[in-house]
Amino acid sequence: MLNELKRPFQYKRNSLLNMEKEEASTKKRPKSNNYKQTLKRIWQFLSFNKGLLLLVLFMVLLSSLLGLLGPFLVGMAIDEYIVKKSSDGFIPLLLGLAGIYVVYSLSIWFQNYWMIGIAQNTVYEMRTKLFQHLHKLPIAFFDKRQHGELMSRMTNDIENVSSTLNSSVIQVFSSLITLIGTISVMLWLSPLLTLLTLIIVPLMFFGMKWITKRTGELFKEQQKNLGELNGFIEETISGQRIIKTFSQERKVIAEFTEKAERLKGAGYWAQTYSGFIPKLMNFLNNFSFTIIAGIGGILALKGMISIGVIVIFAEYSRSFTRPLNDLANQFNTLLSAIAGAERVFEILDEEDEFLHENDLRELNDVRGDVEFRNVTFSYEEENQTVKNIDLHVFPGETAAFVGSTGAGKTTMINLLSRFYEVDSGCILIDGQDISDIKRESLRQHMGFVLQDSFLFQGTVIENIRYGRLSATEEEVVTAAKLANAHSFIMKLPHQYDSVLNQDGSGISQGQKQLLSIARAFLANPTILILDEATSSIDTVTELKIQAVLKELMKGRTCFVIAHRLNTVQNANRIFVLDKGRIVEEGTHDFLIKQEGVYFQLHSNAEASTNI
Amino acid sequence: MIKVLSYLKPYRIAVAIALFLTFTELAVELVQPLLMAKIIDNGILKSDLAIVMKWGVIMLGFSLISFAAGVINSFYSAHASQSFGFDVRMSLFEKVQSFSFANFNKFSAASLITRMTNDITQIQNTLFMSLRIMLRAPLLIIGGLVMAFVVNVKLALILSVVVPFLFIFLTWVMNKGGMLFKTVQEKLDSMNNVMRENLNGIRLIKTFNRRKYEVKRFTDANEELKVRTVKALRLMEVTMPILLFIMNISILGVLWFGNIQVNTGSVKVGEVVAIVNYATRITGAFSIFSFIIMAFSRARASSKRIVEVLDTAVDLSDHADADSSLLIKKGKIEFKNVTFQYPGTKTFALENISFIAHPGETVAILGATGSGKTSLFQLIPRLYDACSGEVSIDGMDVRQMKQENLRSQIGFVPQEALLFTGTVKENIAWGKEDASMDEIIDAAKNAQIYETINNLPNKLETKLGQKGVNLSGGQKQRLSIARAIVRKPKILLLDDSTSALDMRTEAKLLHALKAYTCTILIITQKISTAMEADKILLLENGRLLDEGNHESLLESSELYRQIFRSQLREEKINYA
Repeated sequence: MLNELKRPFQYKRNSLLNMEKEEASTKKRPKSNNYKQTLKRIWQFLSFNKGLLLLVLFMVLLSSLLGLLGPFLVGMAIDEYIVKKSSDGFIPLLLGLAGIYVVYSLSIWFQNYWMIGIAQNTVYEMRTKLFQHLHKLPIAFFDKRQHGELMSRMTNDIENVSSTLNSSVIQVFSSLITLIGTISVMLWLSPLLTLLTLIIVPLMFFGMKWITKRTGELFKEQQKNLGELNGFIEETISGQRIIKTFSQERKVIAEFTEKAERLKGAGYWAQTYSGFIPKLMNFLNNFSFTIIAGIGGILALKGMISIGVIVIFAEYSRSFTRPLNDLANQFNTLLSAIAGAERVFEILDEEDEFLHENDLRELNDVRGDVEFRNVTFSYEEENQTVKNIDLHVFPGETAAFVGSTGAGKTTMINLLSRFYEVDSGCILIDGQDISDIKRESLRQHMGFVLQDSFLFQGTVIENIRYGRLSATEEEVVTAAKLANAHSFIMKLPHQYDSVLNQDGSGISQGQKQLLSIARAFLANPTILILDEATSSIDTVTELKIQAVLKELMKGRTCFVIAHRLNTVQNANRIFVLDKGRIVEEGTHDFLIKQEGVYFQLHSNAEASTNI
Repeated sequence: MIKVLSYLKPYRIAVAIALFLTFTELAVELVQPLLMAKIIDNGILKSDLAIVMKWGVIMLGFSLISFAAGVINSFYSAHASQSFGFDVRMSLFEKVQSFSFANFNKFSAASLITRMTNDITQIQNTLFMSLRIMLRAPLLIIGGLVMAFVVNVKLALILSVVVPFLFIFLTWVMNKGGMLFKTVQEKLDSMNNVMRENLNGIRLIKTFNRRKYEVKRFTDANEELKVRTVKALRLMEVTMPILLFIMNISILGVLWFGNIQVNTGSVKVGEVVAIVNYATRITGAFSIFSFIIMAFSRARASSKRIVEVLDTAVDLSDHADADSSLLIKKGKIEFKNVTFQYPGTKTFALENISFIAHPGETVAILGATGSGKTSLFQLIPRLYDACSGEVSIDGMDVRQMKQENLRSQIGFVPQEALLFTGTVKENIAWGKEDASMDEIIDAAKNAQIYETINNLPNKLETKLGQKGVNLSGGQKQRLSIARAIVRKPKILLLDDSTSALDMRTEAKLLHALKAYTCTILIITQKISTAMEADKILLLENGRLLDEGNHESLLESSELYRQIFRSQLREEKINYA
């Protein structure tokens, strides 16, 4: 019991200290400036709905005025009718008040109604913009990031912005208006009491500053931890098969605990500190109430003010501190929204690859002549992945990349499709440097079967049709038949309409590849790229597909990567890669005669099948 | 909601303290108008300054108490709500870790992720709020009413008439809101799902130039989410104007009635003032209500979604009579008439399979794409249970063993090499937590990946991106082999895990594996690999077509000959 009593005060705050250190090491902009920037950018999203926002503002103004008028008239009613015990004209006053309350409620309803629309539109815009931007980012960006962490920005961080916009904008407006209105009325009623009430303002200011300095950072920390947790969850769900077969649930849970605990720590301090604000306000509120009652009482005794004024003032002191209180509260949610928005803008600030594309050309009518001129590239700065690559493939030819794993085969494809940009040298298609061509225009002429065959959650037909969205059902079936996928598809519970689970359970890896090949058949590109397209398919089926592929490859420039050498030996040019360099080049027969690396690789394969 | 709330139990002391402190604050707040009435009636109206001062100081003292209570409350509330959130999250995650694959198919990955983060945050925030602010509102209302009755029964009656109606109205809004917010969360799932698919399939999307198509898909999901959110929120926001209106009208009622009563002399002026003051406070409390209602509706929707996961019956768990003393010692695998079909499908993935793999043997499994090779593998570590027949290891039915005991002796290398964010070393050591540096290096060497690792910028400490994206396919495969052999398993399952390796590397790898005393089952497409095995199983359409060694199969099986021919050089086939 005693322990449980002490627990809340035993949370460590080292997370914050770490962050300060971290921040000190990286160059930082002044914090307040950061906040301002972020707010400005949120405003840019908000201002899409300027017209409606003005209407909301008007409604807030109206409801605030009426909100002030109401208590004022009630105070008057007490002074004039209750205290003086008269009833003449009392009913009309009450009816008038009733009218005011009707309009008051209506104006509140309208402002909320519109504001929700505005807020959700803003959030919608933010999400769409974030998504669009993600699609413009280079592959390298995705290679570095955890998927779940990015997902968290789309959900958890934007959620913060969303809930803040829903209520805070109105609150801030109305608080400001009420504040100004209240102060004016109070000044008019009794400047002396007003000054007394205002004593609390500096106290408030310092209190707030102390608190928000902490909460701002803590919210950021919290969102960051939440993002990391999200990333971890995503990975463990994606990797269930491994976790289960290795029976590593406990290890994963332990790691999760650690991450969840970090989130808990940040969340604890963020909540505790932000919880101070209403309490501080409440206290100051009561404080001013007491001052008014006490000093007001003295003044009333001296006959300087009426009892009605004290009542009104007591009420106003609440109306005065309530908006301040609200403002203070909003400040907290605002900080949490800023913490979320900053993480969204962080992604939006990533340089997108379309940025400089405006000056680039479209690529029309491709013949399929591909040339690499002295191309050098590395994923990380130190070790070069491919070095001084020179090669030329003529239209309609098939080129094969051969070599041990990690020799740089897939890298060649990554460069050709402009997933990555060459460090030096250039790649030409039909004599045009591809770095002068818009990426999407370039890829339009290419068809890919990638090493990892990815399927979307959806039906079989949707997945094949991804190759060409306008394809008819017959075309899809034809493509599936060519890829030898038709027979297994027909065995699925709903044939072409069977829904595939995203993680592909239900069909085998080889079947996935067959679907990917069918997808490429539909695309009908000038340049066809097959990166280990048949690696998981059994060799008998592969032979059947090879025949079809041969047909498909006719008249196209093809790039083939395969470990099974018999799938590449018909290529016009075989490039043998070793540690990022082309060490041999030529046809199969030529390379065999050379008795070099290719010959070695080949005889290894031969030896194993020729007993 | 109740089930989720039961997670608060360990923190009941903190909750009790928080609530008690909230009560303290509240009491102060409620007493204040009373004090004020005293100041007005006894002090000001009677021209007694001493009384004004006395009560003024008392009021200030109360305020300080309330402030201290509030600040301390903050600590306890944050502790209770964060610990609560943490606990729910933990048991949710633990539950998901115990899921079978059939369970997984019930929820999309994106939905599980939303539930573990967003939904829990939703409840956690509501809890924090209710410990601090929310409970104040109902208590303020009740307390305000009670105080009003203390001051003057007749006038208070006017106020209390409307209250039950308001509660009925609010309950209705809350139920309706709960439903609406449930759809909001579901739409959030779908949006999250599109996002996840796009991240996972980014290469494909880029290569097929489907950016616009995907943006459209996302926009649709996003739009749907927006529409649902707006609908739910707008319903919530109707409550406040209605509540305010009703309360304000009842204040007018108090004034009107009070006026009459004051005139007849049965009610004092101070009493009317006090009651109007209470009524205003109650109104103020009601105005937070739309906020509370919203938070509660959301929390209810979210807890339903969490309970849905927690209540899912795990259909593959340790049997009650599972014997924890059963351990794999030798690694003899036996299938007896095993038939299996995936949940929710009509066709058999495996039909009537029987075979034995003796300890130390290498058994190759060959068959066409979709013939059931991977399905067969999955039954061994009991990722699924056979529908009929028995899978046994060292003569023990796998269902009689503890899953952990079973799996800890199996090294599994899946077809799709899946790695985790972290360093190379961490990824290898993933197979055996307490692996020494020597063991890790040994495993890396035997998996033929050590040289590659040494060429990486930070060697074993090199960080890998999500799913190991900055490695080539073959490198990923070898890393995942290293991860499996570092645990020196009794049974090693290789699911076509050498497909991206060249012949030379593969031969070296298979040779290195011979040093391990374990039973190896290897799925392969390559005859060359199969030839090295002690036994070859040939699968077709889920049936075991034939078994034997290379020579005997060449003799007996047409399919095997077919596969063999397909791997000879083409010209040889032509001349065959």
